[in-house]
Amino acid sequence: MSELSVQNLTLEYGSGATANPILKGVSMNLQRGEVVALLGPSGSGKTTLLRAVAGLESPKTGTITLGERAIFDGSKGLEVPAEQRNLGLVFQSYALWPHKNVFDNVAYGLKLRKLGSSEINDKVRDVLGQLGLGHLGERFPHQLSGGQQQRVAIARALVYNPPVILLDEPLSNLDAKLREEARAFLRELIVRLNLSALMVTHDQGEAMAISDRILLLNNGVIEQQGTPQSMYETPNTLFTAEFMGSNNKLKGKIIQRNGDTATISVNGEQLKATVRGKDIGEEATAIIRLEKVRITDSHAENAIKLPLTTCMYLGDRWECLFGHAEGGLRAYSPFKLNQGEYYLQMDADKLWLY
Amino acid sequence: MSTLSLPPRSRWSQFNWPRGLVVTLTLLAIFTPLSLILFQSFLNAPFFSPVKELGLDSYRFIFEDPDFRQAFWNGLILASGLAGIAVPLGALLAFLMIRTDLPGRSWIEPMLLVPIFVSPMVMGFGYVVSMGPVGFYTLWVKQMTGVEPWNIYSFFSIVVIAGLTHVPHVYLYSSAALKSLGSDVEEAARVAGASPFQVAIHVSLPMIMPALAFAGVLVFFLGFEVFGLVLVLGDPEGHLVLATYLYKLTNKLGTPSYHLMAAAAVCLVAVTMPLVMVQRWLLKSANKYVSIKGKGSRQKPLPLGKWKWLAFAVLAAWLIFTIVLPLSGIVLRAFVSYWGEGVKLADVITLQHFKDILEQPSLMRGIFNTVLIGIIGGGLAVMCYAGIALAMHRKPDGITRLLDYSVLVPRAVPGLLAGLSFLWVFLFVPSWLESGLKGFDNAFCVWLIENFIPQLRALRSTIFSVWIAYSVVWMAYGLRLISAAMLQVGPELEEAARAVGASRGQVTRDVTLPLVKFGLLGAWLMVFLIFEREYSTGVYLLSPGTEVIGALIVSLWAGGSVDLVAALSFINITLVAIGLGLALRFGVKLSH
Repeated sequence: MSELSVQNLTLEYGSGATANPILKGVSMNLQRGEVVALLGPSGSGKTTLLRAVAGLESPKTGTITLGERAIFDGSKGLEVPAEQRNLGLVFQSYALWPHKNVFDNVAYGLKLRKLGSSEINDKVRDVLGQLGLGHLGERFPHQLSGGQQQRVAIARALVYNPPVILLDEPLSNLDAKLREEARAFLRELIVRLNLSALMVTHDQGEAMAISDRILLLNNGVIEQQGTPQSMYETPNTLFTAEFMGSNNKLKGKIIQRNGDTATISVNGEQLKATVRGKDIGEEATAIIRLEKVRITDSHAENAIKLPLTTCMYLGDRWECLFGHAEGGLRAYSPFKLNQGEYYLQMDADKLWLY
Repeated sequence: MSTLSLPPRSRWSQFNWPRGLVVTLTLLAIFTPLSLILFQSFLNAPFFSPVKELGLDSYRFIFEDPDFRQAFWNGLILASGLAGIAVPLGALLAFLMIRTDLPGRSWIEPMLLVPIFVSPMVMGFGYVVSMGPVGFYTLWVKQMTGVEPWNIYSFFSIVVIAGLTHVPHVYLYSSAALKSLGSDVEEAARVAGASPFQVAIHVSLPMIMPALAFAGVLVFFLGFEVFGLVLVLGDPEGHLVLATYLYKLTNKLGTPSYHLMAAAAVCLVAVTMPLVMVQRWLLKSANKYVSIKGKGSRQKPLPLGKWKWLAFAVLAAWLIFTIVLPLSGIVLRAFVSYWGEGVKLADVITLQHFKDILEQPSLMRGIFNTVLIGIIGGGLAVMCYAGIALAMHRKPDGITRLLDYSVLVPRAVPGLLAGLSFLWVFLFVPSWLESGLKGFDNAFCVWLIENFIPQLRALRSTIFSVWIAYSVVWMAYGLRLISAAMLQVGPELEEAARAVGASRGQVTRDVTLPLVKFGLLGAWLMVFLIFEREYSTGVYLLSPGTEVIGALIVSLWAGGSVDLVAALSFINITLVAIGLGLALRFGVKLSH
């Protein structure tokens, strides 16, 4: 059953001649117990979509349905105010109220729902315990670390059991080390409590780690959606392929095509590749993930020969640069390479044409 | 576990009733008095006289009056001269205070603000008793040198005094801009090879240009509104500006010539209104400039070297002239029975003037009312302003824009006029309502005529009439204080409350107001200060029961009771000093 459904949503800032379209017809569904990540570069409209679902932005047309209940319908002029949507929202900045302590921050939503004080007490203690904050109820937000503040913000959004929880870049305010821990914590929490969540992020690693499904937004429309694996392994467009993962990008000419396979010429070298783009012309762009390039020093099939420029140490491996800027390639190596020329082998099914 | 839902809401909560009420009352309070002035200016007789016609007679009269033309030109010269003196000095002062190692900066800073919060009427009086023809300092200098050292009644002196006393206004805006200017832009210039002096000329000052432009228009506008200083200093030689011309018109024809005053008022507002709109526009663009500032961090003051003491001397001279001389004159005058050539100070010291005040109930009432209107009235005004600010808070729609412009309107109306127009409201509206209601013959209307209208009339002779006039006159100022505090509350804090289910009213009550509590207390103190300082708004509303110190000083000055004016001025300065001390003690930001 679909917990949250968005159909053909459009939204623009300003009006008339100065209108600036932000969402240009977005549709999506969120099933019960599913985590969907809204991924995209800045300005793609992902945060706007989240805020429109929360009721903090007014869309122009389209519908938003929460379970059975329509909360926005452009054609009927229906717009349920944010406070009556019963959603949980975790802000990027956490937005904890500085004049209330942790307990009161979390309890506020229950007070608004007119619960008795003992019931409020039980529920707040319960949710604080689940988030590992049991001992911090009396503290004020400024007395907490960044990670603790984030958990309070999550507790505040969860305490009244909203059908869907919305997370706006929940990890971006944490420093790099803490972010990895928080990522694991968040995924574990979502699975443990069986939450339905919609999360905005600009980090594809974060999106793939936490979510069950990714919606990639580009310039106000959904570019592609699917499971993290399908997004990473079978991107349908150049934008998706480039956004997910680290890539080598080669410009070339198609000289022979046979269904899904084709041969392209890159700087005079001929390579076999897989056609993935929809309408592809004679000029094509070839994409291959860094980790799919194999480095050998002897002659190999479907390879380009390039001199080594330099190697960069990444800790668990080396990233090596071959050739120069345009037409150069990058690849990983488990050890440092000596100067010289290498063959960079690219399997036809991993070299994608768009 | 199921989702906990909110309790159901009534249909009526869909419409924002409190906002509607606030907007209606605000617009009524702003536009009723103003439209009355406009209406009156097109009548050829006072509105209460039985014979009156619509026409342009009153405009014809004042345009043909040479005094009016003279007053207009004087006003223009005064305003330009004032801006010409105040802007360079204020910018210089700000640079010295904020960016250099000038000695004594920490104790000079609060002194700089004194001229802003002392009533110009009191200031003017201070100059008369200290530097007038028989002033303390004039006579002492005369005894030593044997010549008449200066004439403060000349128009030139008035311009200089007005200019020097308005330096703090420019200082406030340029110092705020300098403070918010990050040091990184200056450091970038220094690293690129600019000397500290070149940094100031090429980077710091050009970057605060928008703030300086704003301050320039502001003091030009204030110069056009000057009333108290010219009333006191311009009288002996007959120098008039528009505001004093208006005041003198009261008795020009023997009978109250309200139609002429209204016409002069409309002319005055026609000049001030565009100035207010230009200020608004400049302030907006100035803020845009500030938003691209660098990161604010600690910065090392610029060493002045050998210029240090010269700069200090200039600053000290300004402080002596604008604060020490007039205020010490008032203090002395308040405690001497008379003063003139050859009088010894020790012979004439007395407390008699204060005893006289104790014996006059109207003066005691005035002091009591002034304190009351500052503390209670100031608190009520802040509540009203907070209500208006909340009606505009983060609701970018047509109503907010309407309010935004409307609250600027009273700012263009000098206090003297605002008081006059509220007097008319209290005279005109009850009788107009009465004649309107007489047409109906039902019990409710009769009840209204018998009970409501006399109440409305009675308001005129209570301090309420002065309070509402004060509150409307200072609305734009108070709103700026409060909306500045409200903008400090991050929008996501309010959105978070809405997301967990709080309605508009609950967000305001539980999040916005608790967070701006200290901002509101600070605003209360500032409004107390300006209500103590205010003098012109109460002039026309002065009647038994509505006395305030400012208006009493104007009226006693006209009657020539210098002793009482001195004692009242002393009390007024004391009240302001207490408020200013509290503000500094609690670290209230004085610049807005």
